[in-house]
Amino acid sequence: MKKLAINNIRNIAAAAIVLSTIMSCADDFTDRPSESAITSDNYYKTDEQVRTATDAMYYKTWFQFNNKFFYALSEVGSGNMYTNSSDVNAMRTFSITSSDPEMLAGWQSLWANVAQANYLINNLQEKAGEGVSQSVINNALGEAYFMRATAYFYLVRIWGPVPIIVNNLDHVTDPQMNTNRVEDVYELIRRDYTSAINLLDSKVRGAAYAANAKVSKGSAKAMLAKVYLYNKDYNNAKILAEEVINSGEFKLLGGTSEYSIPGKSFADLFKYTGNNNEESIFALQWEGDANYGSANNCNTQFGIANGTISTSNATYGGVFGPSQDILNLYESNDIRRNETIMFPGNYYADIKYKDGVEFKTGLTVPAADNIGGQGAGAAIKKYCIGIVNGNETGPVDAWAMMNNNTYIMRYADLLLIHAEAIMGGAGSTSDPAALKSVNAVRNRAGLAALSSVTFDQLFAERRKELAFEGDFWFDLGRIPRAQAIAIMGAQNRGNMWGAEYYTPSENDFTLPYPANDVAKNPKLLEAPVPYQF
Amino acid sequence: MKKINIPLLHPNVQNKAALFFALAFLPAGLVNAQNKQDSLKEKAIEEVVVIGYGSQKRSDVNSAISSVKAKDLQDIKQVSVDQMLQGKVAGVTVSNSSGQPGAAVSIRVRGTTSINGTNEPLYIIDGVPISGDATGASTTGRPLAGNDFSSTGGSGSIAVSPISFLNPNDIESIDVLKDASATAIYGSRGANGVIVITTKSGKKGAGKISYEGYTSVAKNYKYLDVLSLKQYAELQNAMAPVFGTQIRPEFAHPELLGEGTDWQKTIYQSAISQNHQLSFSGGKDDINYYISTGFLDQEGTIINTGMKRYTFRANINAKVKPWLRTGANISGGFSNERFTVNQSYTGLITNTLLQAPDLPVYNTDGTFASPPAGQNTNYFNPVAEAMEKVNKLIRKNFLGNVYAEADIFKGLKYRLELSANTEFSENTEFWPQFNRGSQSNDTADLWLRNSDWYSTNIKNLLTYDQAFGNHKFTVLLGHEALDSHWKWSVAEGHGFPSNDIYTMSMADETKATGEPGSSSLLSYFARLIYDFDGRYSITASIRRDQSSKFDPSGNKGKNQVGYFPGVSGSWRVTKESFMQWIPTNVISNLKFRAGYGETGNQQIPNNRYASLLTIYNLPGNLNNPDLTWEHMKQVNVGADLTMFKRLNLAFDWYDKRSSKFLFSMPLPDYLTGGTSQYGGIDSPYSNLGDMRNRGFEITTSYETRGEGLTWSTNFNFTKYKNTLLSLINGMANITEQVNINGYQPMIATNTLIGQPIGTFWGLKYEGLYRTEADLANAPVTFGNAPVLGDVKYADLNGDGKIDELDKTTIGNPHPDFTFGFSNTFKYRNVDLSFFITGSVGNDIMNLTRRNGTQNAMMYQNQLVEAMDYWSPENTDASQPRLISSISHPNIMISDRYVEKGDYVRLQNITLGYTLPSNLASQINLSKLRLYVSAQNLLTITDYTGYDPEIGSFNQNVLLSGIDNGRYPTPRTFIFGVNLDF
Repeated sequence: MKKLAINNIRNIAAAAIVLSTIMSCADDFTDRPSESAITSDNYYKTDEQVRTATDAMYYKTWFQFNNKFFYALSEVGSGNMYTNSSDVNAMRTFSITSSDPEMLAGWQSLWANVAQANYLINNLQEKAGEGVSQSVINNALGEAYFMRATAYFYLVRIWGPVPIIVNNLDHVTDPQMNTNRVEDVYELIRRDYTSAINLLDSKVRGAAYAANAKVSKGSAKAMLAKVYLYNKDYNNAKILAEEVINSGEFKLLGGTSEYSIPGKSFADLFKYTGNNNEESIFALQWEGDANYGSANNCNTQFGIANGTISTSNATYGGVFGPSQDILNLYESNDIRRNETIMFPGNYYADIKYKDGVEFKTGLTVPAADNIGGQGAGAAIKKYCIGIVNGNETGPVDAWAMMNNNTYIMRYADLLLIHAEAIMGGAGSTSDPAALKSVNAVRNRAGLAALSSVTFDQLFAERRKELAFEGDFWFDLGRIPRAQAIAIMGAQNRGNMWGAEYYTPSENDFTLPYPANDVAKNPKLLEAPVPYQF
Repeated sequence: MKKINIPLLHPNVQNKAALFFALAFLPAGLVNAQNKQDSLKEKAIEEVVVIGYGSQKRSDVNSAISSVKAKDLQDIKQVSVDQMLQGKVAGVTVSNSSGQPGAAVSIRVRGTTSINGTNEPLYIIDGVPISGDATGASTTGRPLAGNDFSSTGGSGSIAVSPISFLNPNDIESIDVLKDASATAIYGSRGANGVIVITTKSGKKGAGKISYEGYTSVAKNYKYLDVLSLKQYAELQNAMAPVFGTQIRPEFAHPELLGEGTDWQKTIYQSAISQNHQLSFSGGKDDINYYISTGFLDQEGTIINTGMKRYTFRANINAKVKPWLRTGANISGGFSNERFTVNQSYTGLITNTLLQAPDLPVYNTDGTFASPPAGQNTNYFNPVAEAMEKVNKLIRKNFLGNVYAEADIFKGLKYRLELSANTEFSENTEFWPQFNRGSQSNDTADLWLRNSDWYSTNIKNLLTYDQAFGNHKFTVLLGHEALDSHWKWSVAEGHGFPSNDIYTMSMADETKATGEPGSSSLLSYFARLIYDFDGRYSITASIRRDQSSKFDPSGNKGKNQVGYFPGVSGSWRVTKESFMQWIPTNVISNLKFRAGYGETGNQQIPNNRYASLLTIYNLPGNLNNPDLTWEHMKQVNVGADLTMFKRLNLAFDWYDKRSSKFLFSMPLPDYLTGGTSQYGGIDSPYSNLGDMRNRGFEITTSYETRGEGLTWSTNFNFTKYKNTLLSLINGMANITEQVNINGYQPMIATNTLIGQPIGTFWGLKYEGLYRTEADLANAPVTFGNAPVLGDVKYADLNGDGKIDELDKTTIGNPHPDFTFGFSNTFKYRNVDLSFFITGSVGNDIMNLTRRNGTQNAMMYQNQLVEAMDYWSPENTDASQPRLISSISHPNIMISDRYVEKGDYVRLQNITLGYTLPSNLASQINLSKLRLYVSAQNLLTITDYTGYDPEIGSFNQNVLLSGIDNGRYPTPRTFIFGVNLDF
């Protein structure tokens, strides 16, 4: 019996050892840092890491905006494009509602830019390692301010009053916010672009296109000039535009003016090989990968897909077509005409397309009634680069999306802003500096120089130059309402089978807040409040 | 005690170390251990209930535990065990969300506990814990087949059952631990209830060979009324001016057209299935065994779908020494499922409803047809897709459990259990290259999705049993460590030389992604069961859990730790002397039970306490270092009564409160920018609020005995009420969206404080604007003045316009009650049983009907009722006018789409014949039974969709009762045989 007792004691001791060893490493056992993702505390330790921290803010965050909404709003809404596709046609008849799916996508995308920019603005300086040079940090912060300003510039122009958020974490515990007044949002935009100007590196855009990809001090000045123009602060707009012009940072692709890069053309702007050319001020840098939502859908959304002939790798296409109104916009000698719109019979030597089961290069645009289901009688050329074709088009992803850049701003836009700023709200001008800028754009388009320019001419020049690039809706939004309503009310918004006319009302110029967010925060529908800077 | 950091005992080797010590020290001290009661000895006396890390006699149980035995399930032929529990257990709601073989089901033990991904119970299969979460939310977060589970952007892949690898025939018993005093011993993982599954073991006596086989025919029996070609042409002609298109020449005379193709009829088949299972079992003095193998070949009711499954199992228990017992359960399951195209909105089922009838299945040359050119539709030829696209899933599961149990001295047992569980799965999706005219796939595409995981589990249990006179004690001390590791990878290839043979190495272009991960849980627990004289009993337990889901460094690591106590007691009145005057054949048992317990939930994605970057180097989530355990507190009061020795009644009432439930904060998009998939920053997970489930359940059973006709019946009744009590930060509601038209996210449920989780949300329908008089003073509706034929909605806030603020609660997916009623009659050698189940008082949001009546897209087929649209010629219409936009207010979610979901279903009826034993023995059989059975034979419901049993979309409780394209549950006829040698 004694032996039994000893053995029992030994057992209990053994059990105690087992238990104590288990407890001793308990804390390690349940410490499982992520094996598949870097934590934000471990990043931003080298110059290279800080530089790449902003890469995705040039495409990933913009995807849902650019995918369809940008065009469904600014091009269909402005009467440049026609579509009868149920998901993107609401603005054709000014009947968009708060449950519009693409509007929600666009809203999310712009706020994603704000959120990501805020993250860097509030954390980067603190998280950056000692080995990171301050200039690299500053440039990344400058990019963040630039993106936040650009996102808000769209938000305020599309929805009017929106909440001003400068640190998302401040609102997590109290997410129901009021909107802020339009003038406060513009104040934030001006401040942010100004910060960007101070922080961003200077650049001169050269022939090494890859180096041009990211924004510079000049990009921020150009965007701020546009903001001033919208605010009718012509003097500041002019000063900034001139700074940009005088810096020589940007050039026009093609033409024979002082600003031109000869040997290139307007068409080269919209090729994959033209990504980040000398004219690009700010462009989205698509980079397709194995995940949906990294590349540009325009090649499929635009172009031709009639069931036999297709300019896209997707099984659908040509969701947007040109409006009947824009078909007559261009003079026949305008170089931009056939590079913006595919008219029947046009020939595009470098477009690869599918004809039945065969692939061919060199597209002759079919007859008007054989272009596709939209019944537009023509198709959109800009941003259509055809079926994937090696270095000519770059790669295509699994959703037939491609890597051709999307312009948010290019030099031609800035030159026209410059001219308009000099005009300063008058009906016309013959100021030589203004004419020089307008005529440089016209020269590249193959058009004769003007000796004086009216506002209406300048306004039309902007539409011709920037058609399908997401600008005309916003231009219409900044001129007197009655004038904009008259312009749109006179547009044929139907297709080749029938003319249709719709007249917008005052409240069609801002969109409703998405239903999903109103359900989470009904305060969005209350009157905006002032923001305390 | 803390931090004796022996390098050998790195976490990874901890389990091994514990095992080593245990094995090295124990035998030495056990030489003189007293011979204990032989646990292998069969106790035929009374039903034994598994209570978690132990078992008790049914009459001793203090908590709410329901049991289902093999015989209760033998005629319910389902692929997976979870499906078989439907209607069998009071307090347990089972709903099939898909008729696909092997698809996951939603199981709710006493209502909805958490709104986080997982509301599924914990399964314990022979001691091995397996989460019921089919979405892998707390591991990889990825489906085994397809891309993602999201209801918004994704492919809507169907979740597969996490326990479909288990052969239902191997099951001896299922014990459902419902109240927290029972599940508290499982601590963190017990919040949603625990389902303990015990597989068969050999019985002492001559060896037995059993064969069970059946063959079945399943058929879809319900079709929705879609437009014929003639009707479709009329509708298209009417829509042409709305869309500004030309009337198609071929539709110029609709009256001359025929019926066209009803796509529903083209993709369903009579599915023939067979199942065979062979088992060998037996036992001798110190050893018993059960060995089985099974084969299932089940066709799906959709062409080219089905599932094959092979299972094997070996259960062995042995007494090695008088004081040492050991045993092992080893099982494996291999399944191969074919899905073809997924069954989401963009998948097959919806396509059969929306694909136009002007398209034939085949062209005259025998090739598959595709829509006419120039229509820009996403609809495809469903037959072509089903036949030509490959989508298969192979799963290989192994599960093993080894234990040793030693008597240390009288009354004290030490048990060591080691188990490991692993699964390898591979999903192959191949889209061949084809060109069918308007629709083509230029390059063939292949996706290979592999995922595998394993988990090891070690348990050290010390149990001490002692009795002094009328006092009986059982004390349990335990330690458990669970370690899980997983990884997934997806490879995609594009461009293949042939459609016949495809491997990644043949692709012109390939891409690959993948991730590993791991999680762990460390637990200590103790339990005391005290019984006095069989009259009073108390059970008290406590468990400490430490989880890797929470921040190990912040708050001194305390956020990782949760304590979960439980206490329960019972009073068996019939044992009292003052009750003895009642004869036992009137009341043999009356017992009152009461209990309180706390459990926890930690099943959230990993590392939500940390801020992680996406692969794009952008922060992907707002982190919350304060994240900690969700606590569920439950009070249970119950009574058991046995009368006339044959009538059993059990009643339980409970109040179950989930406090600090874990959920991703429902932040508006202006703060998150949407999901991290598109560069937004995901909302933080948070301990968001409190929720209550209160309800009661009744089980009654009655059995006649004796010669001649016998009857046994069981009726169970379940009622609960779910209420959201509070939310943090003054938040008022939780919204969830579904994909309308496949990609258009729209809020479908909005749970307000004080209401049940997942309440439907939308506008109130008040009819149509039929006349100019109706239009006078009509409120502006979402920014536009309504016109004739538009829907009139209620202006609930009275501000003179219809907008988001006029949305309200429009339905409740929770039933008032559910019930199950089973009956078995036996007369001589014939047995007949039937089983009825039902649900009363729940609503269904029928979005399939919305899609089928929206009249907002060209080239889309519709339901017949869509033809009754408003026009100046049809002002009495039931549907609004034709429109050209899918975001038009007319088709916003409203109570127009909410229907009653009540149903009563004859789930199963079975007629069996057993050969008389004297005849059977003449052919050397000990038993031969033949039976025929029909499942899902009759459903009484007013619901207009395929099936009123909707369940939750991929187990998401916020999307319960929403019909958005569902694989209909078929009707099945079965012929089977049971043979024992």
